[in-house]
Amino acid sequence: MIDHKPKIILFQCQWCLYSAEDQTWVDTQLPVNIHLVKVPCTGRINTLYVLNAVQGGADGVMISGCLPEQCHFKEGNLGARRQLDQFADFLDHIGYERNRVRFTWLDLQDRGRIQRDLAQFEADLTKMPKSEALATRVGGHHD
Amino acid sequence: MSAPTDTNLLSERVKALPGGEFLMMCYSCGTCTSKCMIQPKLDPNYNPRRLIREAVFEMEAEAFADTTTWLCSACDLCYPACPQKIHISGVINAVKALAVEQGWKNPNPSAVVDIFTCVACGMCVEVCPYQAVSLVETKVAGRGLIPVATVDPGKCMACGMCSAACRSTSISLPTRHHDKEIIADLWAFLAEEAA
Amino acid sequence: MVDAARQPLIEVKTFTEVEKVEGFVGNFKVTLREKSKYVRADRCNGCGACTKACPIEVPNYFEMNLAPRKAAYVPMSQSVPLIYNIDMDACIHCYKCVEACGALEAIDFSMTDKIVEEEIGAIVVATGFSHFDPSVMSEYGYGRFPNVITSMEMERLNNSAGPTHGALVRPSDGKPPKNIAFINCVGSRDKRYNPSCSNFCCMYSIKNAILVKQMHPGTDVTIYYIDIRTPSKGYEEFYDRAREMGIKFVQGRPSEITEDSETHQLFITGEDITLGKVVEREFDMVMLNQAAIPQPDQNQMSSVLSVAQSPGGWFMEYHPKLRPMDSPTDGIFFAGACQGPKDIPASVAQGSAAAARASRILHSDEWHIEPTVAVVWPDRCVSAQDKSCGICSRACPYSAIDYTQGKAAEVITAKCHGCGACVGECPHDSITQLHYTDAEILAQIRTLLATEPEKKILALRCHWCSYGGADLAGTSHFEYSANERGIKVMCSARMDADFIYEAYRLGAGAVLFSGCHPQDCHYITGQVSGSKRANRLKTIFERMGMSPGRFRIEWISAAEGDKYARVINEMQATLDAIPPEALKEEIERLRPEMARKLTRLPNIPGVQQALDQTDEIIQLMTELHMEKV
Ligand SMILES: Cc1cc2nc3c(=O)[nH]c(=O)nc-3n(C[C@H](O)[C@H](O)[C@H](O)COP(=O)(O)OP(=O)(O)OC[C@H]3O[C@@H](n4cnc5c(N)ncnc54)[C@H](O)[C@@H]3O)c2cc1C
Ligand code: SF4
Ligand code: SF4
Repeated sequence: MIDHKPKIILFQCQWCLYSAEDQTWVDTQLPVNIHLVKVPCTGRINTLYVLNAVQGGADGVMISGCLPEQCHFKEGNLGARRQLDQFADFLDHIGYERNRVRFTWLDLQDRGRIQRDLAQFEADLTKMPKSEALATRVGGHHD
Repeated sequence: MSAPTDTNLLSERVKALPGGEFLMMCYSCGTCTSKCMIQPKLDPNYNPRRLIREAVFEMEAEAFADTTTWLCSACDLCYPACPQKIHISGVINAVKALAVEQGWKNPNPSAVVDIFTCVACGMCVEVCPYQAVSLVETKVAGRGLIPVATVDPGKCMACGMCSAACRSTSISLPTRHHDKEIIADLWAFLAEEAA
Repeated sequence: MVDAARQPLIEVKTFTEVEKVEGFVGNFKVTLREKSKYVRADRCNGCGACTKACPIEVPNYFEMNLAPRKAAYVPMSQSVPLIYNIDMDACIHCYKCVEACGALEAIDFSMTDKIVEEEIGAIVVATGFSHFDPSVMSEYGYGRFPNVITSMEMERLNNSAGPTHGALVRPSDGKPPKNIAFINCVGSRDKRYNPSCSNFCCMYSIKNAILVKQMHPGTDVTIYYIDIRTPSKGYEEFYDRAREMGIKFVQGRPSEITEDSETHQLFITGEDITLGKVVEREFDMVMLNQAAIPQPDQNQMSSVLSVAQSPGGWFMEYHPKLRPMDSPTDGIFFAGACQGPKDIPASVAQGSAAAARASRILHSDEWHIEPTVAVVWPDRCVSAQDKSCGICSRACPYSAIDYTQGKAAEVITAKCHGCGACVGECPHDSITQLHYTDAEILAQIRTLLATEPEKKILALRCHWCSYGGADLAGTSHFEYSANERGIKVMCSARMDADFIYEAYRLGAGAVLFSGCHPQDCHYITGQVSGSKRANRLKTIFERMGMSPGRFRIEWISAAEGDKYARVINEMQATLDAIPPEALKEEIERLRPEMARKLTRLPNIPGVQQALDQTDEIIQLMTELHMEKV
């Protein structure tokens, strides 16, 4: 168990939330421990961003994008999934547990799903073993 | 025979392009506009239904200047929803192709290549969903005549796939979605949380 | 219904299916299956004791499954006749109902279906319509979101005799909705499902909205529509009244309904097209006004009755403007929505008209039919010489030809519709069609191709579609090549291969084989026979080495005047593109091959005389013409 609220980086593609209410929540009411990085498409997410998040000490990374077949840029979501999945495997290999990188694909009709998914992720991360040395293990900064 | 049609009309030119065939079938129900994410998320002026009307009523200048012409990413979320089975992005792309043909420029930003670091590996060419990137022999100061990635702004939709795939960080979006800005923003948050 | 049941001359048979219809106008023999109710009609007094005793509950389809019913039941309290019924699929054979019925002894578990045959003079079909299932449109969430309901469910909820006694409640929590929306055209005017308009939904959505407003004035009601159609008397005024009452109308077809999974509140996203803005609005409940579609067994009924179906599946009338209540089969009439969606006033008007038409038959000893019927020459029919054939009988879309090997085929005149499919198909030229005999048509062909045949385009057109198309081209002043020469037959099925061989033998430049689109055929499957024959001919001509385009097959509806003109002009262009010398050479080269196909022609009764006379007339006319010049 960790004693602080887990630090989460939320990468959100700018299209995936259909309901205006959900989008407003993400834009203005995210809890302080969650940081939103809006990208034009999940396909835009460079592995470098994830690596930097991990090095900087994020407890988890959540990537929210559109359902397959519903990508605003045809296939960006699939490209992202392929690339970032592989990268998460690599992170696992060097000690950053696999389930600290989570994907969520949002259905247009699924209102409130992003709130539920984030809450679940936070609960899961809290239950995971303490990871003070996380940043150290993956060679992050200490200043 | 029915009255001869003037092939110079915008509507006729749109219909002659692939995807534009069923232009005249639109009964203006608005399903496409509300299925599309662009109006609520990006640009309140975005409206594919209106663009179709502009094409039907030969409002060429309005159609070419319409934000819809340049922002549609051909995701085809609207296509299966249209009760008249109109390939809406096909119509929009036809209008766009005609606009480009007449010298109109894409008003939106497109990906930018750093020709001094590009190694012409072609990853960006592979991943671009719009076939907007190609490797072109270019004269680069200090590097001579070498192939480098070159972006066609008439095709680029600024999704950033190329930038995510690039292994030498040589291609990026010129907006706030630039690599450096995103990484700096991440560190700022994490440092603040740590403190 | 109650009135009908009281009328001594009307017999109402419920729970009865029409299995077979034989015979013809005035003399139908109809086979009925009277399904077993397991309750004897002569004993049941409608007291309902069995229902009270029955322990089994199943959803009541009459209440759109919003309420239960027992296995011993009547679908509704106004059922006519009021005779109870045991649902054998649900019954557990506890026999509590038998006990409850007591001394009446009306319940009889040994009953079986009864097959009866009736002699019937005329038939009125009034089988109505069915409802599109909106659950296939995932964007509206019907079936997943409890507060999204259909218009039929709404009708029951809004009905004082309905499952909630007229209380309008949300299925998710039983609370009265404060803010409701109707969405029109769900599955109608939608090329993905049903391209046509369902006719009455605009009006009933306004009706339901007004009812809601009257009973619950505090409720907010919004109607989403593409176009509102109020074409009948008083309808626009009704629409006005709805607006006066504060009902809101939004032009724009919603693209998505989303739901808050905890509160089951609904959110409709749609463009308000007059604003040009995408608006998301919140509702407690949403009604989908689903499309009217043909009955699921409409195809089956159409083959039992031998009547054609229009595109979309509705029964096809004899003539859309002049005989909208007649079927193409004499003695069979349509009333109501089975012929196409229509509201109650229109259904009633058509029903009364159909009844009047039917009574004409019942009061006549004689019946006049169209004279264009088929007739067999018994001495030419090979079946009479004990050869196996029956091609005519198989070609007939109405089973109007009796064929038994050893006897000449015989046309049942009253059943014949005069399409001429049998005549076109008979390989022995043993059958003909009055007013469209081979002799008559061949004489027309000879006349039309009398001079400069290589410049002519001979167009064979069917009466119902392509002839109408050509007519429309004329009345609309669409110009087409003056070299076209048209011949009308009733159906493309009548377009004999001989006609086309003869045209080419005479040196025709081009021949058009045209008829209805397959779905539109007036004679059920006539077009199919015609189309098969035409395609066979096309292959033959290709093998002969005929220039492509000289034989053309086109399906042109009566509304496609522009298409008719375009096709003829294109054919003219094709002819123009062949150098005259080459065309002449081709015609000469093919002439003997065409002639070889026609050696039987002179033996067909009347043909030789007709052609000789035609030649004489042509000769005379030419001389007259020369004198004038
Ligand atoms: C929700 C809703 C609301 C409406 N509200 C109005 C309104 O307010 N005013 C208005 O004018 N119109 C209204 N309409 C339209 C109206 O329902 C139709 O106009 C009317 O029902 C058509 O009557 P019909 O007799 O042709 O067909 P139906 O009413 O469909 O009757 C056909 C009958 O034939 C029976 N049947 C079907 N197949 C067979 C078979 N093979 N053998 C024996 N029997 C068979 C069926 O069981 C049924 O009883 C509404 C329609 C809907 C869907
Ligand atoms: S959904 Fe189709 S019919 Fe409706 S406005 Fe868009 S293009 Fe036109
Ligand atoms: S294809 Fe174009 S108009 Fe249609 S939803 Fe996608 S971006 Fe919008």
